[in-house]
Amino acid sequence: MNRTAAVLSVLVSSAALAQQPVIEISGANFRPMPLAVAPPMAQDDAARAAAVEFDSALVFDMTACGLFQVLDRKSFLADAKEGVTAASITFSNWSNVGAESLIKTQLAADGDNLRADLRLFSVAAGKEELKVSETWTGREPRRLAHKLANAVYKYFTKEPGPFESRITFVRKVAGGKDVYLADWDGKHAVPVATGNINVLPTVMPGGGGVAFTSYRRGKPDLYAQRVGGEPTVLSATGRMTSGVAYSPDGSRIAYSVADAENAELYVAKADGSGPVKVTDTKFFLNSSPSWSPDGKKLAFVSNRAGSPQIYVMNADGSDVKRLTFQGNYNTTPAWSPKGDLIAFTARDERNAFDLFTVNVTNGKITRLTQDAKGNEEPSFAPNGRLILFVSTRSGGKQLFVMTHEGNNPVALPMDKGEYTTPDWGR
Amino acid sequence: MGMSAGKGGGRTTMAEINVTPMVDVMLVLLIIFMVTAPLIQQGVKVNLPETKAQPVEGPEKKLVLTVDVNKRVYIGEAEVPLAELEEKLKANVKAQAEKELYLHADRDLPYGVVVDVMASAQRAGITNLGMITDPVGTSKASKDPKELKK
Repeated sequence: MNRTAAVLSVLVSSAALAQQPVIEISGANFRPMPLAVAPPMAQDDAARAAAVEFDSALVFDMTACGLFQVLDRKSFLADAKEGVTAASITFSNWSNVGAESLIKTQLAADGDNLRADLRLFSVAAGKEELKVSETWTGREPRRLAHKLANAVYKYFTKEPGPFESRITFVRKVAGGKDVYLADWDGKHAVPVATGNINVLPTVMPGGGGVAFTSYRRGKPDLYAQRVGGEPTVLSATGRMTSGVAYSPDGSRIAYSVADAENAELYVAKADGSGPVKVTDTKFFLNSSPSWSPDGKKLAFVSNRAGSPQIYVMNADGSDVKRLTFQGNYNTTPAWSPKGDLIAFTARDERNAFDLFTVNVTNGKITRLTQDAKGNEEPSFAPNGRLILFVSTRSGGKQLFVMTHEGNNPVALPMDKGEYTTPDWGR
Repeated sequence: MGMSAGKGGGRTTMAEINVTPMVDVMLVLLIIFMVTAPLIQQGVKVNLPETKAQPVEGPEKKLVLTVDVNKRVYIGEAEVPLAELEEKLKANVKAQAEKELYLHADRDLPYGVVVDVMASAQRAGITNLGMITDPVGTSKASKDPKELKK
């Protein structure tokens, strides 16, 4: 967690602790809370330079997390120079634009660091609900904003926010495919595995690197690589090895090894040692393993019944159960960190790829996307509330996030490019 | 004498009243009332600047658009240039959800100014515009929107 020396001081007023609203974040009655995010007040030139990025990250986090309806600043009525304390705010100006909550931020340079104060107000009550102060070593306004956004998310939901987590994805480049590691919003993207074709990445436990499948030696092999480090081989069987997935505690990996007409799943230690074959279905394919949050089970794709379907089994290969019975093409399972759902890609009767979830206990299928071109390759946020996926709804293959119920799809603010197979680090 | 009702020569007795003409007449009347009833309800309704009616305690926190005697426009307590009013209201989630506004215009304003403001609101998608009046006897038109609210 402590990637950067961040000085954290969260000051929650005692009144707010005694009585605070918790947003019910799922269910039919969910209504996003109207939230006004006032433009940040920059105290000096250095802060002014950082304010744009800080602001865009904070607004993106609040918009994309699905809890809030972030209000259009064009409607704002308050004076731009309005203060940041409850006494100096004219709350009627905020209630008149429909805001129920208001966020005010101040930015200031603190030596070489950047300091931000965030205050959250309840507009109806006209009082301060939360005050958070953060100082970030160095000047990375987006990460400072993510930290503050997490505090707001936690205040409303009592759950940790996903804004400081890491994602990995594949970007198509001339002559190959590169694996990137990035912040949750796709920014600060660093190429980790480059050259040749590198695919199917997964974030290493701790978020410092990625494991991926690479064709650099002809046949696909598994590698792990930290940012700025050298790749280490996880598995090079001389056969086609692909699709590594770390167990939630980081101690084991699951992957698939394919021959001409057959692909089997293996489970090994995190460094690739001691592989154990856990499926045995001659002439059939088993692939795309995804761990259950307790690390006891695996979801995977198998065509043993004719068409690719989602199956669940114990991590030692016992007790195989078929989970999907609708459609004839269900792939890329992703087990929610909450444990109740598995998201997957399905080809529907109109040959469109869309995302669905299946309830692990009762098999109930829920459709998440429809009539928005192709949507594929889901991956859950660490808190299970959001899904990262690939969509072609606005042209090329782009990364999107939406809630685990399929609401509020938002494109990640990334450079133009072809992005595939995202994975959200836990 | 000889012409008793019961035993008359060629005449038959009228034992019941014939209601058929009455039903006809009543039916015509009924139709006339049915046709005229909606017409009575139409017509032009004018909200006078001053009424003797008691002020009704309206639902709180409605969006109030104030135009003071100097033709300055306010949403709530915040002054908004008339040119920006439409954009502000279009972006305003509350206005767009409720589709209604209460107009609080000074009684000495030219009619044209008020119409301009109302037209802006209408272009911004406001379909219900209520006119706020002061009951007789309360303070005369005030210049400050904060006072106007009272």
